[in-house]
Amino acid sequence: MARININNLTKQFEHVTALDDVTLELEAGQIVGLLGPNGSGKTTLIKLMNGLLTPTDGNILINDMEPGIETKKIVAYLPDRNALPDYMTTDKLINLYEDFFEDFNRAKAEAMINDLGIDPRLTLKKMSKGTKEKLQLCLVMARDAQVYLLDEPIGGVDPATRDYILRTIISNYNENAVVIISTHLIADIESVLDDVIFIREGKIVLHESAEMIREEKEESIDQLFREVFKC
Amino acid sequence: MLGKLLKYEIPALGRKLVPLYIAWAAAAVFLGLMIGPLQGKSEFMIVISALLYTGVATAIFVMAIVLIIQRYKNSLLGDEAYFNMVLPVSTSQHIANKLISALIWIFLTGVAALVTALIIGLFGGAFFEFIHINWNLVLQQITGNAILLFIEILIAIFVSSGKTVMQIYAAITIGHQAKSHTTLASIGAYIGILIFESLIGRLFLVFYPAFEKMTTQISDYAQFQMIMIPAILISVAFIAVYFLVCKVLLEKRLNLA
Repeated sequence: MARININNLTKQFEHVTALDDVTLELEAGQIVGLLGPNGSGKTTLIKLMNGLLTPTDGNILINDMEPGIETKKIVAYLPDRNALPDYMTTDKLINLYEDFFEDFNRAKAEAMINDLGIDPRLTLKKMSKGTKEKLQLCLVMARDAQVYLLDEPIGGVDPATRDYILRTIISNYNENAVVIISTHLIADIESVLDDVIFIREGKIVLHESAEMIREEKEESIDQLFREVFKC
Repeated sequence: MLGKLLKYEIPALGRKLVPLYIAWAAAAVFLGLMIGPLQGKSEFMIVISALLYTGVATAIFVMAIVLIIQRYKNSLLGDEAYFNMVLPVSTSQHIANKLISALIWIFLTGVAALVTALIIGLFGGAFFEFIHINWNLVLQQITGNAILLFIEILIAIFVSSGKTVMQIYAAITIGHQAKSHTTLASIGAYIGILIFESLIGRLFLVFYPAFEKMTTQISDYAQFQMIMIPAILISVAFIAVYFLVCKVLLEKRLNLA
């Protein structure tokens, strides 16, 4: 059984089709790059997997369940914005995660936050944009989840922070989990990817293993992306 | 999980309201001192202190309404929804959390109003008259019916506040279904809800015409009951309807921007 099954999924916004008849099967134990230009449907797909949008047609099954309370217990989601209450301190946010997610590993979160030198008494409001993003990622990756959905985790941060974020992702996800990373910054993440999905105008144009692209096509993912999405 | 939600929601509202309560108490002390026996009765200062007191009271009222709207909108339909709506919590618990915490703060605001009134009395000199009241005489007046009446009025205020809060939540949720101008759509939805309630009220009177007559001719406790109990039950029914509207829309039609 695949960890995630997406069947003929369509999402329509008024006159725009954000996702058009998408079908995908994703297994556990891999890091998947959901790659596409801006407005291609990456965020829409991730929101649908989290139940934050309602599909127009088709369905999504995570561990054979439609998005709901049971899937939320096993899905760790990093949104493309700060979604945490900005008046809370890091300490309180850790308590918040611990209260609601059984799979949250407090020691892991505290170690990561300590590594980054984030003051646990500081409120989110007083942190820089980059620090907020790192903190949010630490809290998400400190869960022992079965599915990680990371929407633009490296967008808007400096190269050193990108490295830290990617190291955090690789060293914290477990073998039973699938990690989906949505981004258009291919060169930065291609070294960590096992599987690659190219999405354009709401349609999946390629779903291939990263190794296959590198060995058989003798191209980097970044090169292939530039070819496929050439303007 | 509802308990855990309340653990975070109640302080989230309180962090803005508690400082205002403190300011309100300070304004009450000031007003009490100005009207008290120790003051040289400067009319100007009495007016200023009264304005300050009512100004803070108005600020609390406005802030409470704004917070009730803001907490619901931001938490369940705004940016914070990207965290809250992925918590393993049912939609009903989310709505109940917002409703209960709003009611708790409405209740606490009522308590704060009483406390400030006592403060004014205490500093204004009325306190000494208060402690010389013949309490035995007062207690004799409080019969079984009076206690019941008091409890009933409290329940009616509580239910009516709950209905108002749920009207606001339903209006925001309905307004959020619009493709754009969601705030304007929410205001439109709120007006629609008020019209809907008025129509239901008129329909109720068609089937229960004696009700309108009774409201103008309350002569005894039994007659008061005939009005109060249906009124409370109707409000509870409206709360249930608005709760259901929010639940269905958040579950089946959630589309976060």
